[in-house]
Amino acid sequence: MKLTKTLTASALALCVTATGAQADTELELARFFGDCDNAGTDVSTAVGEACIIQTIINAYSAEDNGVTIETLPTDWGNYYDQLKAMYAGNSAPDVHVMHKSSVAEFASLGALLPLPEADLRAAGINPDDWVDRARDAVTYDGQLYAVPMDMHANLWHINLDILDQAGLVNDAGEPILPTSADELMAHAKQVKDATGKDYLTADFAQFPIGVRMVLAMLWQQNSNVFDGDTATVNTPEAKQAVETIVGLFDAGYADPNLNYSDSQQAFLAGEAAIQINGTWMVDFYDSETANADSALQSYYVADYPQLFDQPATWADSHIWALPVTLKNDPEKYEAALDFLAWLNDHNVDWARTGHLAIRQSVLDSAEYQNLAHRDEYNNTVNIARDNPPAVRYSAIQDVLNRELQSVWLQGKDIEKALSDAEREINRLL
Amino acid sequence: MRLSSFLQSDNFSGWAFILPYLIAFVPLLLWPFFQGFWMSMHEWNLLAVTFNPAAKEFIGAGNYIRLMGADNLGWSLQPLWPFRLVVTALIIALYVRTLRSQATAGISHHFIAAIALFTTVVLLGLTGDWYDTRFWIVVRNTLVFVAWVVPVTTAVALLLAIALNREGRWAATLRSVFFFSQILSVTVVTLIWQLVYGARNGFIANLLAPFGIESPNWLTDDQLAMGAIVAATVWWSVGFALILFLAGLQQIPGERLEAATLDGAEGWRKIVQIIVPSIIRTVQFVMIMQIVLHFQVFGQSQLMTQGGPGDATNVWVRYIYQTAFRDSEVGYASAMATVLFAFMMLFSLIQFWVTKRQES
Repeated sequence: MKLTKTLTASALALCVTATGAQADTELELARFFGDCDNAGTDVSTAVGEACIIQTIINAYSAEDNGVTIETLPTDWGNYYDQLKAMYAGNSAPDVHVMHKSSVAEFASLGALLPLPEADLRAAGINPDDWVDRARDAVTYDGQLYAVPMDMHANLWHINLDILDQAGLVNDAGEPILPTSADELMAHAKQVKDATGKDYLTADFAQFPIGVRMVLAMLWQQNSNVFDGDTATVNTPEAKQAVETIVGLFDAGYADPNLNYSDSQQAFLAGEAAIQINGTWMVDFYDSETANADSALQSYYVADYPQLFDQPATWADSHIWALPVTLKNDPEKYEAALDFLAWLNDHNVDWARTGHLAIRQSVLDSAEYQNLAHRDEYNNTVNIARDNPPAVRYSAIQDVLNRELQSVWLQGKDIEKALSDAEREINRLL
Repeated sequence: MRLSSFLQSDNFSGWAFILPYLIAFVPLLLWPFFQGFWMSMHEWNLLAVTFNPAAKEFIGAGNYIRLMGADNLGWSLQPLWPFRLVVTALIIALYVRTLRSQATAGISHHFIAAIALFTTVVLLGLTGDWYDTRFWIVVRNTLVFVAWVVPVTTAVALLLAIALNREGRWAATLRSVFFFSQILSVTVVTLIWQLVYGARNGFIANLLAPFGIESPNWLTDDQLAMGAIVAATVWWSVGFALILFLAGLQQIPGERLEAATLDGAEGWRKIVQIIVPSIIRTVQFVMIMQIVLHFQVFGQSQLMTQGGPGDATNVWVRYIYQTAFRDSEVGYASAMATVLFAFMMLFSLIQFWVTKRQES
């Protein structure tokens, strides 16, 4: 009798203990954007992609919602390699960021979990609030595979003081930007003659900013690098685009040897009037104007200028996806959707980086429209372009980057480079 | 009875000693190697096969044929097909004659067979859109890298070892200092050297600035990038070679060095005629170790230059890595890894052959 009582009491105690100490659902999250030292939970004070996203994640983890998120250590340069290795090793993160341009590869091979609209709505996400382009970004073969977070594009980041010295600022205080390839060269010469400084800087040596510039110039000429399963790289339009950029190097108006960090330093040190880079730099450059040591005291950001027949700039989207294996764990699936809803709710915070919001309600809000410099690149959303979906998009971009680098860093003949790129891309398509 | 005599035999002791190694060798090295070889005969997409094991397709030697294309190498004889045929026939005849005569044994058979296979495929000019124009570029880059790093590291380490092969606190301290770089990971090494090479605020740029000299772009200039990686690698690798040379130098009888000095051998003459011949086995060991090690260079190319500009510093293992993970072509990457293994095996056999020849 005594033994029975003891056992019953022990069982009850165990039940109580188990209930009281019920652990949070733990989600593993993989992302790029870089590291943020001492990221807290106050999103409003964070600056830059890494710190803003990490504070959004930390703030979610700190909520009393029964979910804890562990951000896995991943490296920007090898992010997709690591992600694929994790998928191949059956250890995919429970939730991860990726680009719109990678959806075709991951979704077509069955790696991503389709997200039914009903589940998204049940979690508090309203897909009807997404702009069409954002919905397209997460749709593959008619199904939703992710929750979009932004649209990002190439912009012209401008040091107005330098352009002003060259007489390229109008009475309204806005930069005068080129409207043709010839005018681009003329403006570059004007800046060099007046200030001795480079007209523009960008990472032409490693990160594919140069590729994105060439793509924009192709789209501006109503051309593209591939059409369906046929590469169309070796064209007069592509040659024109590459020659335009090479012309800047040959005349000494830009330096092709700078990598991402060096081109950024050159811009901040006032050694170039314009830096071509993405929307993600806007809040950082804006904050640098408050730094007395920075040569960037008068910052302006402009839509990518139209140099050919029609306006266009390179664009992509950051989106959040779940691995297909998560369907076997309803608890984690529910938690992951809840987290995606949190991200969706913080769309305006993420847009502070400079990225374009993807929710119509956010785009219409005063808070969004009052963000720094937002009115200076309003038209980017209308001129944004990207390649059609391709399963091997990252490899295609790598081919272009390598061949274009060989043109401006190794002196390879433009037509030979375009021809080699076309042959390789045909094999990849 | 048989069992008990086996248990007491030297055979048993020998097997017992190597058993722990075999337990690790078979599952961790041998099995993955054969699995990789099997994968190399398939068209195998990393993600597709993960989610659908039936997605792989057996293509036999297809991946090997693809990497044999050599359009971008200067020595490609693509347009000269009659010449190719003649040379191919000569090589096959030479190979057959060598096999029949049995005049040479062991390594030379394998060596000639490898050359015959390679040359036949290349000279037959199997060209077209299907082949890989980059593979031989990264092989060439790897060979250039190895051809610079191995002799320079060996020479620097040998000279440092001779200079530091003495008693005293300073020599001991300097030995530790030079060995220090060896314990760093490739990530730390490349980070340090990126700080050295930085074109704007790097160590070299700051050294040159007072003289009004602008630092070149070490890592993005195609004439300098490979040299920059080689220098960083020599700095990193010299410590281990130094320790081996010091061990070798301490085996040289002091009387021999004294006798050489009395005979008037000093400086370079003493190094070349006395010291190097005395530790030639160590020199060979260091060089073979370095060759095998540096054929597998990856981190320096990946982290310092990302293989660029263009493919100027792209190397074999990085290309395998990119093909497997960025392009998801695990089958083709495995074929390249198998060929790399064959290269390394070749060098190991040469080492074995050289050692055996010296012993005999």
